[in-house]
Amino acid sequence: MAHVDVAIVGVGYSKHVSKRRDVNIAELVWEAVSNCYEDAGLKPKDIDAVVTGNMPAFEGVNIPELWGAGHWGAYHKPLIRITTGGTTGGSVVHGAYYAVASGLYDTVLAIAFEKQSDGNSTMGLNTVALADAAAQFQQGVDPGFLAAFGGGAVGIAVYQAASYMKRSGCTTHHLDKVSALCRNNAALNPWSHLKQPGLTPEDVAKTVLMQYPIRFGHVCPATDGACAMIVTTGEKALKLQNKPAYILSCASCSDEAALMGISGSGTTNMDPCAQEHCKLAAKWAYELAGIKDPRREIDVAEPYAPFAHQMLMFYERLLLCDEGEAPAILDSGSMNLDGELPVCPSGGVISTNAIGASAMERVTEVALQIMGKAGDRQVKKEVHKGVAHGWGGAVNLNVVAVLSDTPRRS
Amino acid sequence: MRREVAIISYAQTPYEPDANASREMQVLRVAKAALAAAGLKQEDRYTVVTANNDYCDGRTISNMRLVEPAAAWMKNESKAEMDGAYAALYGLLRILSGDHDIALIIGESQASVYARWLPGIMMMDPTFDRQRWLLNEVSAAALQARAYMNAFGVSEEQVAGVAAKNLDNAALNPLAGNKLAGADAAKVLGSRKLYEPISEMMVAQYCDGACAMVIAAGELAEKAEKPVWIRGVGFAHDSYLTERSLEEMGSLKLAAEKAYAMAGISDPASQVDLAEVHENFAHEELMAYEALGFCGRGEGGAFFDSGATRRDGKLPVNTSGGAIGANVACATGLARIIEAAMQIRGEAGDHQVAKAKTAVATGQTGPCAQESVVFVLGGE
Amino acid sequence: MAEMEYKKETRSVEGSWPMEHWSWKFESIALIAKAREAFKEKKLLGLKCPGCGLVYFPPKPYCRCTGEPDEWVEVKQQGTITTYTFTGAWAYEGIKEEEGPAGEPMIICGVNFDGSDTLTVCILEEAKPEEVFVGMRVQLKWPEKIEGRLDDIAHAVPLKE
Repeated sequence: MAHVDVAIVGVGYSKHVSKRRDVNIAELVWEAVSNCYEDAGLKPKDIDAVVTGNMPAFEGVNIPELWGAGHWGAYHKPLIRITTGGTTGGSVVHGAYYAVASGLYDTVLAIAFEKQSDGNSTMGLNTVALADAAAQFQQGVDPGFLAAFGGGAVGIAVYQAASYMKRSGCTTHHLDKVSALCRNNAALNPWSHLKQPGLTPEDVAKTVLMQYPIRFGHVCPATDGACAMIVTTGEKALKLQNKPAYILSCASCSDEAALMGISGSGTTNMDPCAQEHCKLAAKWAYELAGIKDPRREIDVAEPYAPFAHQMLMFYERLLLCDEGEAPAILDSGSMNLDGELPVCPSGGVISTNAIGASAMERVTEVALQIMGKAGDRQVKKEVHKGVAHGWGGAVNLNVVAVLSDTPRRS
Repeated sequence: MRREVAIISYAQTPYEPDANASREMQVLRVAKAALAAAGLKQEDRYTVVTANNDYCDGRTISNMRLVEPAAAWMKNESKAEMDGAYAALYGLLRILSGDHDIALIIGESQASVYARWLPGIMMMDPTFDRQRWLLNEVSAAALQARAYMNAFGVSEEQVAGVAAKNLDNAALNPLAGNKLAGADAAKVLGSRKLYEPISEMMVAQYCDGACAMVIAAGELAEKAEKPVWIRGVGFAHDSYLTERSLEEMGSLKLAAEKAYAMAGISDPASQVDLAEVHENFAHEELMAYEALGFCGRGEGGAFFDSGATRRDGKLPVNTSGGAIGANVACATGLARIIEAAMQIRGEAGDHQVAKAKTAVATGQTGPCAQESVVFVLGGE
Repeated sequence: MAEMEYKKETRSVEGSWPMEHWSWKFESIALIAKAREAFKEKKLLGLKCPGCGLVYFPPKPYCRCTGEPDEWVEVKQQGTITTYTFTGAWAYEGIKEEEGPAGEPMIICGVNFDGSDTLTVCILEEAKPEEVFVGMRVQLKWPEKIEGRLDDIAHAVPLKE
């Protein structure tokens, strides 16, 4: 049974800023969707199915596409909603991929967005653990301690950073360099949120220390934004684009996602930087894609890194180098826009984070690199294959997609 | 469909208003049972798709802490934030792609944990309808019931009759939480009025529960003793509540058309042996008869009166008791698929129907079934 | 890509998301309660999974192998730090006390107590931030008055071996 090739033929973004008070959810998403239709040269009537997702807590609306999707061209279409936290955008891409690869739906519109300014972001993040926190208060945990444990404004990524830095030898200077690299790249990306051309690691090192070891400059913003993508069969794609970007494979892998356990129980997730399941997801994705040596075959990577240390950590967990090698690879310049294996040429999540959308935007950015449509942020080297990654949960959900300029070899 | 995919095994918890159980343990119980019944171990390769809703579970990323109980640790796992039948749909798509051969599907929620009216209200348009606090799941359903009944002369007695049928059917389903042996229309009409014309016993009351199902293609399906083949599937999204005709179940009609086309069914009334329909309200079942092509437009009431959909009729509907017998948000549609599969395998015990070769199962999401999914199942 | 024109006239609409309406159920609390009782005897009780042998401390009713832990085993009161951070006045360099969530300086660490396969979160006392490292050995420090609360196991000190 031959594999049905799945290819991206259109990408659309809305404007991404911290507060889009000029539009409601339906209008924000329509910006991205209409740009996507235009980019693909397609209309709503050409769409066979729709996949959509966002994080339900942030806007305070349950299943927002119920009142919004008509505005996006989903009238009477098959539609499925997929929401998996920070990995939502990636999970939506997976859903769209499977819809086409199943052979049942030729052309699928994928939508991922977040409009955090509509709600209360802190509350939205807290509700990840509200139930367990309530259980722990009841059993005699000091609320002040729990708040302090939670990493304050930064969140529990501080624990992951501390552990990663120990394991890899990554220093705070490396974190500063990651931020500088990403924010400079973002300055070349018209739809990114935080553009900081000329930002230096020294500038980043001067930003306020939020909670050890993470500084303000190492953390992503909260963004309102939407992203849309159209995928279709390989056959149809060639009629629409000279150089479509094929999604060769998708894989996800999940670990227990609780640093503090559920309701006070101990968690077997002792090292938040281990991310063994990310390595598994990458392995499965590369296997399906027919990639035997990702270090040599992958030309560009968009790991999901709302925190600076994660760009290096996930570079390793995506099997692009050995454990502990990423800081040196950063130092070598290889991750730069003109390097051997550019990382986050879009600016990454650390520059733009509309949470529900950001994992899809890793995929669309790799696609644009492959299609040669990344404008000023197009990397210097020739791009044939790329890997896009999403991360979320409390600490432990990962999604991976491998893209290429040629379809999967059977 | 490019692969033959079958339901291999399933498991359901009893459905109770308050199961006095944790969400995690409920999921663990059905996940283990379904895997064991399929002869699978956790080391085997399978993908997991769960259905759950953040507003019901009171947890953002509601699938996250279910990873372990769902036997999904270190597995390729995802979610549909809709009725459980959509998780089955997504699992099916994963298998059809060829990248997976086996999928474990799980749906759950616990009405005893959340305020039953809240998730429905939060689905309404936040800029207008939510501000006025007039629309919730029940009041919206009442508006639809009135529109439908007036359009086609359907009576409250007929609607009540459906509720009574399902409550009486539920009495033969050991898992159903809402049962009333010998229920009749009068009893239903005598129950407390909520929003005219809907009275309490016409509502599929939410309760606690979880269910799981293993579907597969390839070796596991070929070796299975009693595979229940998925012959067709269809799903559709209709316009928002106040932007469509409420006289018919538009999304269900569209979904059914696609599912029937895939399954090669041109005359459902004669080719379908039984149906398990997701009816959040009794009148929805009458509307479903029409949308599913069991009778003509506007003939749902008459079709019910004919007795065809009773458990001894020629096209039994909801012999399990349907959602009125047990309604678990994010699981009800999946339970309908399971119940239909049980019928085909002859495992429905006291509520087994005589002829069960081809069955239809439906699931819905959104107020007044704004979104529907239909499965057509058949045995060998 | 098409340039979108910004609309100039918009209205914000207020609403709320009632948070008071859940009553979550846990089957772990009864198990943890038994462990909390044992604190009064200065004992740490974990629960072992019959399927894979992992020991959960504090106990948990289900395991990632889908087994159901059911064997009580004693967990040692020394352990290893697997991750940490500092918060409070130490950590908020550059933020004035009144601006940030300041409060008492704290070193928070994840401790894997010997004999268990899980992480427990503790405040490390009698140590300075620069002394803490992943792999450091620590000792549980019981409070003066043990009340059978989860707080009772929330403090540790460096282990002097």
